[in-house]
Formats: sequence, structure tokens, C-alpha cells
Amino acid sequence: MPTYPPRSVGHLTDILRAGSYLADRGLATALYVGITLGRPVLLEGEVGVGKPEVAKALAAVFGRRLIRLQCYEGIDTSQALYEWDYARQMLAIRAMSERALAADEAVDALFGPKFLVERPLLEAVRAGGDAVLLIDEIDRADDEFEAFLLEVLSDFQITIPEIGTIRAAEPPLVILTSNRTRELHDALKRRCLYHWIGYPSADREVEIVLLRAPGVAQALARKVVGAVNRLRELDLAKPPGVAETIDWARTVDLLGATGLDPQMALDTLGAVVKERDDLELVIANVEEITSGA
Amino acid sequence: MPEQPGLAGVLVGFARALRAEGLAVGSAEAQTYCQAMAALDPADLLDVYWAGRAVLVSRREQIAPYNEVFKRYFLGGTSARTLPPAPRAMAGSVTEAALAVPLTDPTGDGRPEQAQLGMLASDAEVLRHKSFAASTEEERAALRRIMARLTLTPPKRRSRRTHSARAGRAPDLRATVRASLRTGGEPTQLRWRRRKVVLRPIVLILDISGSMADYSRHLLQFAHTTAHAAARVEVFCFGTRLTRVTRALRHRSPDQALADATTMVCDWEGGTKIGACLDEFVRQWARPGRARGAVVVVCSDGFDRGDPETLACAMERLSRLCHRVVWVTPHKSDSHYRPSSVGMMAAWPHIDEIVSGRDLAGLEELAALLPRLA
Repeated sequence: MPTYPPRSVGHLTDILRAGSYLADRGLATALYVGITLGRPVLLEGEVGVGKPEVAKALAAVFGRRLIRLQCYEGIDTSQALYEWDYARQMLAIRAMSERALAADEAVDALFGPKFLVERPLLEAVRAGGDAVLLIDEIDRADDEFEAFLLEVLSDFQITIPEIGTIRAAEPPLVILTSNRTRELHDALKRRCLYHWIGYPSADREVEIVLLRAPGVAQALARKVVGAVNRLRELDLAKPPGVAETIDWARTVDLLGATGLDPQMALDTLGAVVKERDDLELVIANVEEITSGA
Repeated sequence: MPEQPGLAGVLVGFARALRAEGLAVGSAEAQTYCQAMAALDPADLLDVYWAGRAVLVSRREQIAPYNEVFKRYFLGGTSARTLPPAPRAMAGSVTEAALAVPLTDPTGDGRPEQAQLGMLASDAEVLRHKSFAASTEEERAALRRIMARLTLTPPKRRSRRTHSARAGRAPDLRATVRASLRTGGEPTQLRWRRRKVVLRPIVLILDISGSMADYSRHLLQFAHTTAHAAARVEVFCFGTRLTRVTRALRHRSPDQALADATTMVCDWEGGTKIGACLDEFVRQWARPGRARGAVVVVCSDGFDRGDPETLACAMERLSRLCHRVVWVTPHKSDSHYRPSSVGMMAAWPHIDEIVSGRDLAGLEELAALLPRLA
């Protein structure tokens, strides 16, 4: 297991590379500063550039538990922080005598740790330094939920009225991702470090494909990446992300091809282009896209 | 590494330079930056750059100005041009001029409330059917005041978020258990949860080309009041290209907000490329999610210099992405309206509602229509 915290940006990059994740200088610096200062890192970027992968890679290389909170509209404290186990509470109340129930201790016991169901955020605060917390697609949650997050992200503590405040001994590593479907509140952003993940350069993308799809030959990876880059220049409604590049390389490899001719590209287009309008545009330009490949 | 006061000074100076460029960099961010650099290598310019980008930048649009300031501050780049203050000052003076027009000010010199209201009401009556394009400067100022009271209320939809209620679909176990404590653990009364009702977002896309500038200025005012009344409003202007003015309109004072928005838009009263601009809106904003579930209000006369095919395609995509498309055109004055311009004909099949933006009555119609689009 590599030493934690990492000694330098370069050290962190090497550790992540050993865990099959290629971080560029900017991302590695943001993560290193986040780890050193105990600050959450907010990642925004094009769709399909592997934002959640960052958290998975960090958890894997440092041997920590990955706790994931997928955000959605209407998510609230009972789904993100904690919930009481009502069925067990009911049973416990039934089992108590009338007199026992009147005592204050009865209520304390009912709303005590025994009946508390942990949800991801509470779990992460309890686990503290043993966890990587991934708050995925925070922009899908509503404004009210962002307000819940503020206390957790600034002090790594959670207040449960019936029990008290639970504090993390050592802050967990927190990664937030957003697809920018709405503007996040400045208060939330102020608590986070920010990094924009763009498309990688062609050489780096080839490296990523080789790392993620080990069976694929380098020549094929290069051709697929070349074609994907031409697709991105094509002004598509949904340009392909890195995940699509990997899928496409795998698909072509699976079919036993070593190159990417127009016919092979047309047959496997479903791996990269996932919009009807785009499909028409790509089919019309397929010669050009696969040229030089 | 212990940080030298010299280093901190340099870093804070950089933060200050960014602030001068309009980035929201407070002293807390500057402090975090210094802490970050203490953990990194201050002699390595790449560390200085990336740590700053992680700490001091909080949205994608800020990356370009950040790079600019970084180059200037640390590399002594030749691009050390002073900011041109000219456009801002100019826009300010324009609104001041508009403000200085002598008019009957309803909030002025202690006249009785009754008279004020009467004045305003009769103003409204006279001005209601006067075309915006034909009104005088004084009348426009009066219209502005009336419109400041007219707000757009977006339609509502049921949210996935729930709240405790007397009746509803799902039982509220938490509240039920709480209540049952009082009756010795017997849940005599079930409590319920019901889905909350929230307002849909509104997106205003205003044509500010030569043929539409007069109308759109009014709508911009309208947009400002709406942005302050409703929860989520996005405002865009377009002529030959699309500009997002939502942030500028957040300013509390309408004049300052309008001035800021006007400064941001550089193609006032130029030509129109509706198709290209709507296409850009769909790609840049609607697809990533800004228009999902929203009511999109496009204000334009549909005179397009571009390819009608582009417009038709963009409108089709837009109508699939958002809740409803409302088109405001100054040319519609009755219910027998049929599209006359090529652009309108291309957009026509994808429009849910069409209203007149010709005069105040038309805007009132729009305001009345919106809540019904649920």
C-alpha cells in the first residue's frame, strides 16, 4: 500500500498510474492539495471523461472504502444522511410496558444509535479517514440538498437532533462531480477545490485506452483515438467521451479487426454515436473520419 | 516548507489581480491558496499555476481570464493591457439619460397614495395597446414602471421531494412513530407525506437584432423583474451570436442590471441568425440540462438571415428537450395570425403557444398564459 498522504504531486500521479488511472498535472495538483488541506474537490467536465473514476481510483490505490452518494431530484436527509428504523422502533414500543414508556429513557433509547440507519454521508463521516466519499452528479439534486451538504463538507460533521453531533476524526477524501445542468451555489463552491476535466490529448487518450482495455493493440488504439478526435471536431450534439473511445476500441478488437476501415466503423458505430441526428452526420462523413486511420 | 512573507505577498498580490479582473476571490480563497502553496513547490511555476486554478477558479468561464492574469502577473506577458472602461461607462450614461427624462414620478414628492395609483392606472390604460415601437421616450419610461409590477409566474409541477401532510399517498413513518409514543405505541393515526409543488424554470431568449431591439429592451426589463421574482430564470440575448445575460441581471437595481446586460451583449441592433443562435443554445445549454422541464420563451420576429433548415432542426430539438416553447412575436395582433417570415414558418410546427409582444396587452397575455402551461 502506498504511503498516505502522498509526498508530492508527482508521487500522487505515480500512485494513481499504478492503479490504472492517468491523472494530468492539473488534476493531480487539485487532488494533492485537496488531500493535504482536507478539502473536497469538485470536478466538472465534459460528459464521459471519467469524473467518478477519479474517486474509484483514489479508493483503490489507498485501500479505502468507496462510499458513493448518487444524487437525484428530491434526495433528502433520510436518503443521504440517516433514517430511523421505524419497524424496529414500533416493535420496541409495543414490547415496553406502559410505565417504562412514560420514562424519559425510553424515548432516548428509541432514538438512540441502536435504531439509527446510516446513509452514505453519515457512513462517510463515521468512517472518516478510511473512506473516499463520492458525491456524484450533485447538480441533479435540488437547492435544498446543497444546503444540507454545507455542514458536512465544511466541518465533516453531522448533527442529528436526537443524538447530537457526530464528527469525523480525520476528514474523508471527498470528490464531488457535476455535469453543469445547473449552476451550483457559491457557498458550496467556496468550500471546494475546483477542477475542470476536458478531453485528454490524443497521446494520453491512447495511453488510457491501452490501460483500460489491455487486450487492444497499440496500432488499433491509435486509429480509434484518431477517429474519435475527428468525430469531436464534427460538431455533434453529443460528442463521444473517453468511455466511448474505450468501448469502441474494445468492440472493434472483439470483432477481430486490426484497423478501422469505413465498413468496420459503420458496423460498430453504436459504441460511439448515440443520437439519431449525429448518426446521419457521421454516416455521411465516415470516409473522412476513418481516413488516415 | 515554511512560507516566507515574500511568497505570501506575491500570492496575495496575484489573488488581488484576479479580483480586479472580476473573479470572485476573497481573502479566504487567498489564504487557502497560500496554504496550498506551502504544501507544494513555490519555485515550480506549474505548481503555482495549477494550485491557483484549483483554489481560485470556481467555474469554467473563469479559466480564460485566470490564464490571462497568470501570464501577466507571473510571466510579465506583453498582454498587460489596461481594461477598457469605455463600454461600461457608456452604457451607464445611456441609462442615466433615460432616467433623466422628466416624467411624472409616482414615488415622488409626497402626493397622496390615491392619486398615485390613479395616475398609474390611467397610464396603464392609455399605454396598454400602444405599440412599443411607436411609443415616445416618456411613454416607454412609464411602461417600464408598469412592467416592473408585472411578473412572469412560471407554471408548477410536482417535485420528487415530499413533505409531511394531513393527506397524501405515502405514509410518513417518522411522524407516525413519533405520534404513537403518545398513545403507548399504538399508531392510532397515520401521518402522510405528499409531493411538493415547485415552479418550473423559465428560459427567456430575446432577439436584439435591428428589427427587434425596441421590443427586446422591454422584455429585458421584464426579464429582470422575473429573475428576481421566480426561482430559476435564465436569460439569453441573440443577434448574430448568443450571449447569456443571466448573471448580469442578478443586480438588484434594474438600471444597473440592464446596463451590465447591455454591455455584455455586443451585437445590439445588428443582423439576425436565429437558427445558428438557437442551435448554439440547444448545444451549449439545453442539452446539458438547463432547459429540461423548463418553459422556453423565444422573443423574435423570425426574420432570419441563415438557413431555415438549421432553425427548424434547432427548434425541433429544443421542443423535445424542454417542457413548452412559447414564441413572442411583435407581428401577431389577432388570433388569425399565420407566419409570414421564412424563419417563423420553419419554427411554426415546434411552437406550443404564440403570443403578441407588440404592446403591454400582449405581455399581459403572456403573463397570464405562463401559469397555465403546467
